[in-house]
Amino acid sequence: MSEPTALASAAEPAGVIHDIGYHRYDGPRRGRGYVAGSLYVHSLRTAFGLGRSAKAKIFPWLIVGITGLVAAVLVAIRAQTGLVPLTYAQFAEAMSWLVIFFVAVAAPELVSRDLRSGVLPLYFSRPMSRPDYPLAKLAALITAVWLLLGGPQLLMFIGAAFTVNGGLRAVWDELLDLLPSLLYAGLWAVVFASVGLVIASLTGKRAFANGGIVAVFLMTTPVVGVLSVLPSRTVNELAYLAAPSTLVTGVGSWLFHDLVATEGEGSIRIGDFGPVYAAVAGALVATCVLLLLARYRKVAQS
Amino acid sequence: MTDLQLGGVSRWYGNVVAVNDVTMTLGPGVTGLLGPNGAGKTTLLHMMAGFLAPSRGTVTVDGASTWRNPDIYRHLGLVSEREAVHSFLSAYEFVLASAKLHRLAEAEAAARRAIELVEMTDAQHRRIGTYSKGMRQRTRVAAALVHDPQVLLLDEPFNGMDPRQRLHMMDLLHRLGDAGRTILFSSHILEEVEQVSGTVQVIVAGRLAASGDFRTIRRLMTHRPHVFAIHSSDDRRLAVALMGEASVNGVDIDRTGLTVRAGDYGSFTRALPKIALAQGVRVRRLLPSDESLESVFSYLVEA
Amino acid sequence: MNATIIWMTARGLFGRRRFLFLLPLPVLVIALAALARSAGVDPRHWAPPVLIGLGVAVVLPVVALVVGTGVLGSEIDDGTVVHILSKPTPRWQIVVSKLAVAVAVTAVTVAIPMYAAGVLAESVRLGLALAAASVVGTLAYSTLFLALSLVTRRPVLLGLVYVLIWEGLLSNLVRGTRVLSVQQYVVALADRMAGSPLLEGSVSVPVALGMTAVVAVGATLLAVERLRSFNIAGETG
Repeated sequence: MSEPTALASAAEPAGVIHDIGYHRYDGPRRGRGYVAGSLYVHSLRTAFGLGRSAKAKIFPWLIVGITGLVAAVLVAIRAQTGLVPLTYAQFAEAMSWLVIFFVAVAAPELVSRDLRSGVLPLYFSRPMSRPDYPLAKLAALITAVWLLLGGPQLLMFIGAAFTVNGGLRAVWDELLDLLPSLLYAGLWAVVFASVGLVIASLTGKRAFANGGIVAVFLMTTPVVGVLSVLPSRTVNELAYLAAPSTLVTGVGSWLFHDLVATEGEGSIRIGDFGPVYAAVAGALVATCVLLLLARYRKVAQS
Repeated sequence: MTDLQLGGVSRWYGNVVAVNDVTMTLGPGVTGLLGPNGAGKTTLLHMMAGFLAPSRGTVTVDGASTWRNPDIYRHLGLVSEREAVHSFLSAYEFVLASAKLHRLAEAEAAARRAIELVEMTDAQHRRIGTYSKGMRQRTRVAAALVHDPQVLLLDEPFNGMDPRQRLHMMDLLHRLGDAGRTILFSSHILEEVEQVSGTVQVIVAGRLAASGDFRTIRRLMTHRPHVFAIHSSDDRRLAVALMGEASVNGVDIDRTGLTVRAGDYGSFTRALPKIALAQGVRVRRLLPSDESLESVFSYLVEA
Repeated sequence: MNATIIWMTARGLFGRRRFLFLLPLPVLVIALAALARSAGVDPRHWAPPVLIGLGVAVVLPVVALVVGTGVLGSEIDDGTVVHILSKPTPRWQIVVSKLAVAVAVTAVTVAIPMYAAGVLAESVRLGLALAAASVVGTLAYSTLFLALSLVTRRPVLLGLVYVLIWEGLLSNLVRGTRVLSVQQYVVALADRMAGSPLLEGSVSVPVALGMTAVVAVGATLLAVERLRSFNIAGETG
């Protein structure tokens, strides 16, 4: 009767872990700023569909194309006739609908997608503090909108610089017109991006975010229309606070009045309420930022 | 008796071929559709259920094509892989709605029967949104069974079920299959298919790699040796004698007994008793150690 | 028409919170109209922005968009459409039943504030005209958006492109495109029925009615055809 155990006289099963060169990373690590900066750059690219499929590029670049086209047409008109149909600042105002549409498409791409796919825990388990995420996204969207407006403005400037008469002096005057207008474009960017991003951060479905942002902006314009025809002059002058686009135009006409002012039906009269507009704009942006921070504090913990 | 027939069915998406020239006939009883993830099981099931058009070939139920033919659903029930179900309804409402959409004469009675069949009677009036994964699965099965279909297609039905629910579902499928219905369910888990059906269709990388009874399939793979585990009264003596046998490819001895690799199943099984008798060794246990579907599967996949 | 599908669609629409987010729009229309009226502003000043600018141009298409893409689109999105399709119900019945729900819900949600605003602006006749024209517009919009939800994976976005860019921007700039704008049909019909100086249609009434019929029927047929060929891809697709 052979005993199976006698056969298994080999020693305890031996084991060896081979060194295939796997090491923990001991080298220098970059800081929180690098993390936030990378998120910023990535978000900026996402807003324009870079690094994603061709379909994601259609809408953003369509809008870029339209604004660029308008700028090119303005340059051509100026070159041919010397007329200036729209100044740099007025260009920013004229493009306001396109800006709304751009924000309505880009903001959900930035935040709604992350909510839907549930990757926020992945983000927040990195050496990045909680506010960094929404602030980086906001900064990216602001930059994107500013580029959307500022790029064509720059194009208009270059066109003007080559065609204007009067040598360097005239070019210098153009530059002095351009710089505040770039600032004005930045103002549009800050207000619209803040409002749009807050709305988009409320839902994970891009369709709702698209519709919601558009609906909010569209709803407010008729309110301004009604308020501006009410019999009280004060109400008329304050009416433009009700909608983000007229709010920014109001601030612009206070800060840059000679660049923005137009005669005729497009102009808005805000009387002496310029500072009020600026204060409300600032409060709006601050509220949106606080809401964003609060939103991501809650979501991160869920 | 309803036959589901696939003739030369292929489906491609651009350059990716999801299903490659599959021909099979499914008759009454339970058939398992077995294959690794991404093999094309769901694609095949969706084509059978009329939710996808084959790029080439025909899919018919009793001669009628499944594509663009809502009438097949009178006799066909589908339980899809996606968990989605109207979470704002209760199980009863959902199954009742299914019964009504099938225009059953006694929809309420049918709905109750179907819910009892899947053991959901206790929870049937709660919203589906409050159910566990297994409960939702069972609700969907009830909705697919409410019209008493001749053909039932299930895509990974045991996903998310606990062992008791799984046993119950397997029992249910057995009973339905024995009653003459054509049932096809897909899985990538070998134990499930092994326990529910003896007939299997193995699909690997879009191709039908094997069909039929899995033991028979196994036996057909003669270029791989069969492996047996033997416990006897004198392993070493038996081992030495077996090595002299032509049909034996190799013998291993260890603490647990004897492991014999046989090249020819038939000759070995005939020779073993003679050898044991001649050596005076009593064979206590003889088990084919790879008869399970696992070895079929892995052999097929590695083939 | 299939009663079960109507019931399921209605339950799905009202059973979710998101439907409530639509309500601020009609309420805003009534609120603004009431405010302007009580402040004694001349209707000629406030009627165009509120009735047309907000009511016809924003509230009608946005509500129609959300409801029209929601009745079928949300089921396609979360995969529950399988349960509706794996039944012997004729596909046209499914489409028509869902359309019935979409049109009914949208029409009620839009016609009521439009009627109220019209009455506040001028007269009952204007209110009725606006309400009736809105219902006609609902037919066109709902069928269009339902068909859109079967044609593309992002129907809301494309719907917004149509509403904002086509109807909003281009129709104001390029007169010729107004023939293809549902918004213009609604305005034209309301203008004809109300005979009010507050409204000004730019498309003739026969064209408006004819095009609405073409859009409604065409979109429905398209939706039925797409539903017949509806496919659900497998894991690899």
